Amino acid sequence: MPSGARPRRAPAAPAYSRQELMVIEAARHLRDGDIVFVGTGLPMLATTLAQRTHAPNVAMVIESGVIAPRVRPTPISVSDPKVMYRAVKLGTLREVLGCLLQRGLIDVGFLGGAQIDRFANINSTLIPRPDGIRRLPGSGGANDMASHCRRLLVITHHEKRRFPERCDYITSPGFLDGPGGRERAGLRADFSVTVVTDLAVMDNDPQTYELRIEGLMPGVTPDDVLAQTGFRPGQAPTVRDVAPPSQEDLRVLREELDPARIYLKAEETASVRR
Amino acid sequence: MVSPPRSRTAEKVMSAAEAVARFVGQGAVLGMGGQNIGRCPMALTHEIIRQRIANLTVVGCNLSISMDQLVGAGLVRRCECGTGNLERFGTTFCWRRGIEAGTLEIEDYSHLAMVSRFLAGEMGIPFMPTRSLLGSDLLEQRTGAAPSAETAEEPRSPKVFVTENPWNPSERVVLVRALQPDVSIVHVQRADPIGNVIIEGFATHEPEMLRASHHVIVSCEELIPTDEIRAHPARTTVPFMHIDAVVVQPYGAYPTSVYGHYDYDADRITAYQDAARAGSPAIDEYLQRHVHDPSTFDDYLRRAADPQRLQTLRAAMREMM
Repeated sequence: MPSGARPRRAPAAPAYSRQELMVIEAARHLRDGDIVFVGTGLPMLATTLAQRTHAPNVAMVIESGVIAPRVRPTPISVSDPKVMYRAVKLGTLREVLGCLLQRGLIDVGFLGGAQIDRFANINSTLIPRPDGIRRLPGSGGANDMASHCRRLLVITHHEKRRFPERCDYITSPGFLDGPGGRERAGLRADFSVTVVTDLAVMDNDPQTYELRIEGLMPGVTPDDVLAQTGFRPGQAPTVRDVAPPSQEDLRVLREELDPARIYLKAEETASVRR
Repeated sequence: MVSPPRSRTAEKVMSAAEAVARFVGQGAVLGMGGQNIGRCPMALTHEIIRQRIANLTVVGCNLSISMDQLVGAGLVRRCECGTGNLERFGTTFCWRRGIEAGTLEIEDYSHLAMVSRFLAGEMGIPFMPTRSLLGSDLLEQRTGAAPSAETAEEPRSPKVFVTENPWNPSERVVLVRALQPDVSIVHVQRADPIGNVIIEGFATHEPEMLRASHHVIVSCEELIPTDEIRAHPARTTVPFMHIDAVVVQPYGAYPTSVYGHYDYDADRITAYQDAARAGSPAIDEYLQRHVHDPSTFDDYLRRAADPQRLQTLRAAMREMM
């Protein structure tokens, strides 16, 4: 883990957005040597940030068949040539989703925003509406990641509608209906979930498997989180304060990884100053 | 089948118009190559639209701009896939609108589940086990139609079976059904006249899907002699026995990218997405202007992308290699 802490009396603590801290905090959850299955967007930013800071030996695997590339900023698709740069192999979907992921060789699966419920089940397929359905893109490799990786990392904005009590449709299995749910379904039980949002970090309670508040973003209170969550999450025995970004994290993120602000939204960067 | 058995060692070079007319029939199950903004078979897709071959079932893993244009042209009845989207460029809007309106059937899988179906298909076995889908709603048929339409659905054979490992009954697996498309379309870097195919860079689900298909139409950036294939046999991705037609079409994936040749054209993709998002009549006008009006794909390229633009996309790719 890198220290996100800066000297207390640093004269010019960096200004940063909540979205930037979300990416930086997610990167901190990657350990050096992890093999990470990742798509594009904020998860890709977090993974490349980890590679360029505290975890240079993180190896990325990308669904289109790309194995261990040195991604060039800033790819916008899993089939963008930028994700293929200096890979050790450009293979097939079967090789990465079958021979690495289902085979059990992936440590961390990284998913972006979606509907996520109390037991960390994820919906990326459809939302029922009174007049029919709202169709979302579908599983892609998400179901495969949630089924086969050991640790699932999710980055999403914290909004009540994104955190329902129960997903309308389970695309990707979290803990299903709670303790024993994964075992009953036939899924690997060796599994944990961490959700990084712009308000908090949530992980699964080791007994109840419900998502609980494990950390709070700077200036955010538990009540703020409860107000934006559709279920009532518990709290870890000690709820930590998420450390603000270091100058170096911000520099790498802004100048190297997303200089054109493709994923880091410009309108959100003017916010928190500490 | 829509055509006689492929003559395996004959030369298979033909125009897109001839290949599509010969091998893509009304109501075909169409395997779609490419992924997102990479190596989508646009020239062959345009030809299917020009010939108005309807009632298609489009299958693949990620289905993106090529599938969406077929849906926008009103030619698709059903999709079986893992996702419809163009990532940063947004969703596949015609696809989404069709599903939400109930005019497009959808059967959802994960990407590994779709690859497993092609894997069973290419090996000539009826199904493949996977440990994906367990516990999820993807096990059920219900994935597209509005809840109110459920009663109207015809009874179907089950989408998947959940069963136990016969050697270890405590272990559960999902059996997914083999998928052998009637015809698949794919755009690759290189092929020889008899259909030996070289895919460079990422290959997505294509090797499994092509080998599983009853017919395959390949378009390629470059036609190479068979001697060159024989000089470097390890480079061959799929041998000629699986291939029916070779269409020589430089820039055949434009505006999506071809690894080693050219980058995607963000402006052109965005222009399509704007029309697709707006729906009719914008999408009809787009397809009329860019697909129906040009007589060939080269004619489309002349209208849609000037040579300097194409050179820029080549330079962008070279810079990334």
